[in-house]
Amino acid sequence: MKVKKATALSALLVGMHVHADVTYEDLLRGLSDPSRWLTYSGDYTGQRHSPLGEITPANVHRLVPQWTFQTGTLARGRGFETTPLVLDGVLYVTGPNHYAWALDARTGRPFWEYRRDVPGDLTYGASAPVNRGFGILGDRLFLVTLDAYLIALDRRTGGVLWETELADYRVGYAATLAPLVVEDKVIVGISGGEYATRGFLDAYDPDTGKRVWRFYTIPGRGEPGSHTWPNADVMARGGGATWMTGSYDPELDLIYWGIGNPNPDYYGADRQGDNLFTNSLVAVEAKTGTLRWYYQFTPHDTHDWDSNHVPVLADLTIAGTPRQVVMVANRNGFFYVLDRTDGELLLGEPFTETTWAREIGSDGRPVVLNEDGSSGCLPDQWGGTNFNPPSFDPALQLFFVTARETCAAFLADAPEFVPGQQTTGGVVWIDRDHPAYGALRAIDATTGKRRWEFRYTTPTMAGVMSTASGLVFAGDHEGNFMAFDARTGENLWHYQTGAPIWGAAAMTHMLDGRQHVLIPSGGTLVAFALPDE
Amino acid sequence: MVHRWLISIMSIGCIGVLSANAQQANPYEGDAAAIRAGGALYARRCAACHGADAKGTPGPDLTQLGTSGANSKRVFDVVQRGIEGSIMPPSLAADNEIWAIVAYLRSVGTVPPFANDRGDAARGRRIFASVCARCHRVQEQGGAMGPDLSRIAMVRSREALVQAIRDPSASVERGYRAVTLVTKNGERIQGVAKNEDAFSIQIMNADAELKGYSKVDLEQVIHESQSPMPAHGSSDLRRRELDDLLAYLGTLRATDDAER
Repeated sequence: MKVKKATALSALLVGMHVHADVTYEDLLRGLSDPSRWLTYSGDYTGQRHSPLGEITPANVHRLVPQWTFQTGTLARGRGFETTPLVLDGVLYVTGPNHYAWALDARTGRPFWEYRRDVPGDLTYGASAPVNRGFGILGDRLFLVTLDAYLIALDRRTGGVLWETELADYRVGYAATLAPLVVEDKVIVGISGGEYATRGFLDAYDPDTGKRVWRFYTIPGRGEPGSHTWPNADVMARGGGATWMTGSYDPELDLIYWGIGNPNPDYYGADRQGDNLFTNSLVAVEAKTGTLRWYYQFTPHDTHDWDSNHVPVLADLTIAGTPRQVVMVANRNGFFYVLDRTDGELLLGEPFTETTWAREIGSDGRPVVLNEDGSSGCLPDQWGGTNFNPPSFDPALQLFFVTARETCAAFLADAPEFVPGQQTTGGVVWIDRDHPAYGALRAIDATTGKRRWEFRYTTPTMAGVMSTASGLVFAGDHEGNFMAFDARTGENLWHYQTGAPIWGAAAMTHMLDGRQHVLIPSGGTLVAFALPDE
Repeated sequence: MVHRWLISIMSIGCIGVLSANAQQANPYEGDAAAIRAGGALYARRCAACHGADAKGTPGPDLTQLGTSGANSKRVFDVVQRGIEGSIMPPSLAADNEIWAIVAYLRSVGTVPPFANDRGDAARGRRIFASVCARCHRVQEQGGAMGPDLSRIAMVRSREALVQAIRDPSASVERGYRAVTLVTKNGERIQGVAKNEDAFSIQIMNADAELKGYSKVDLEQVIHESQSPMPAHGSSDLRRRELDDLLAYLGTLRATDDAER
């Protein structure tokens, strides 16, 4: 009997080793293993484009729900903004209000639930109690919190392995993004640009939680970029949050990250200058956090047009020359293509009907026509698009983005600086007589020209995912989850989820030989697949 | 509107002279200085969610508080306590600041009572019953095609009501706009649009029935520029009848005491 038991136990232990922990090499392979989705955007490029092709334009109309997971918690006024990770048939999902789960990908049934107890006096975290997902490495999941901590969880139990404070939440900080794991570092950014804070991008040791480096998005006294601020006091509360997951080029060993608005959001009179590195894309060295280059989309922003977007990496031929590029559809209404080796502007074209700027000049700066919206319209404070992820189809060279067409004016007002209180510095006046709407738009990445659009009845905060079979999955504020023909924009399928798809984008994976597509909406996560025949 | 906001912002300092007073009625109701100060506080603390014009998005439209029946104390309590389980946070502001915000919201969401000396409200009530009640409700009596007018004098001036009666197409509230649906076989269905997305539309039809349609089944969705409410010119509603009707509508004004 003893021998038999030992044999059974050995078999069990051997079985456990079949499910290998996640390595950096796994992360580098991105979506090449179709059963996995291991980082926020699917891979380091930020393309959110799956090679899967079981679901096609010809059969997507047959897509049906497989299961629905109810979180039991809502972020009212915001969304269920996460992208689930999937490994060996287990989904790892974060939710609003400090919840997280491991779910059976076949049924949506939970293995474990995690909830963090947080203080009752949250600052930014109280106004946006959201989370956008896990990072994963080894047997660990990495999660940021509304009281501005980074936490490591054991992926088998949901138990806390370590936690590290990123910043003091009482001042105005919080954290909401999905960490980006790069080699032996967990890269995280911070939220709270509506408060008198100073943004940063951090790298932590995944084993110990100790900080490896910090890049401040607002320079210190005498540092590069400090000449774009009036003085050190203003810099110390200059904003520049980093609340959206970036991208990574392993060959260049550069991390690309979007930087948020200067603070106060709308009142710029006491922060004269360009206010670097707010509203910029920065490229920092993964090993050291040293700034390699930056490009500022909106100098001296007074509209809360954070540049907290997923930077999308690709190789394109622009004007006859092959280029390694990074693409951003920006909150200011322009679509940009930059050389990702040095930040050179290759293309800057409006993808919305904005009257803010006429064009991007030869000096790389916008030719601003209308700073405050006093004539015509500006995109509102949510922008021409927002953090909701775009996608990119490299075969079609099309960039898919949810555009928002709105009309606003901005009225500035000097705020009082009280720690823990918002300092937006004014109000936004929405012109309600001007028709506002949303649209899924396909942009030719090599020219910036619009190829097609599909309009939604209201401005929309849903993200986008595409697949190699020529499909684009998108959502709208009315709750529709939809599939489109990537070449034409023809709507091929839709499903009413019952709540705005807000900040979330779909993910997809293979399970038991069938392609599944998942979308968070309201308080639910729904998995779709073709009928099992 | 812009000038009004700038004035409010400049006058923020006056809140300091107001005395705190936690009670049922708003001590600052109609107080011009407090309303200006409340406007400035609103702009800083509330406008991000409720809009600079208080008409909502993403938060609720606060200019409708006058017709919702929410009295000042109830609004005060919601501001102070927040709404559990929602994004609406509790406020740490002093009572007098909250009362000033409530006074401001009352000022943007309501209008003062108008003089009632030109018409006869009793006659006006009969006119309402015969002409208006088919589509409009007052205290649960009447039709559902048009807006509930139970507290209409809280939010519409006499001049605005005259325009709404004589020229209803000048401004139509969301949820009451006319729509014509043309089906694949050419049938035309008229109603008011309650909701719509890229794939469907929800209407109240001419029989006041709620109906939903998939756009794939429709040939056309026509958003009419004209209000479904007929214009009542001087030929079918003479001046004296209009005065009587206005006298009645002017009574549709709940007081704080009578409010929920």
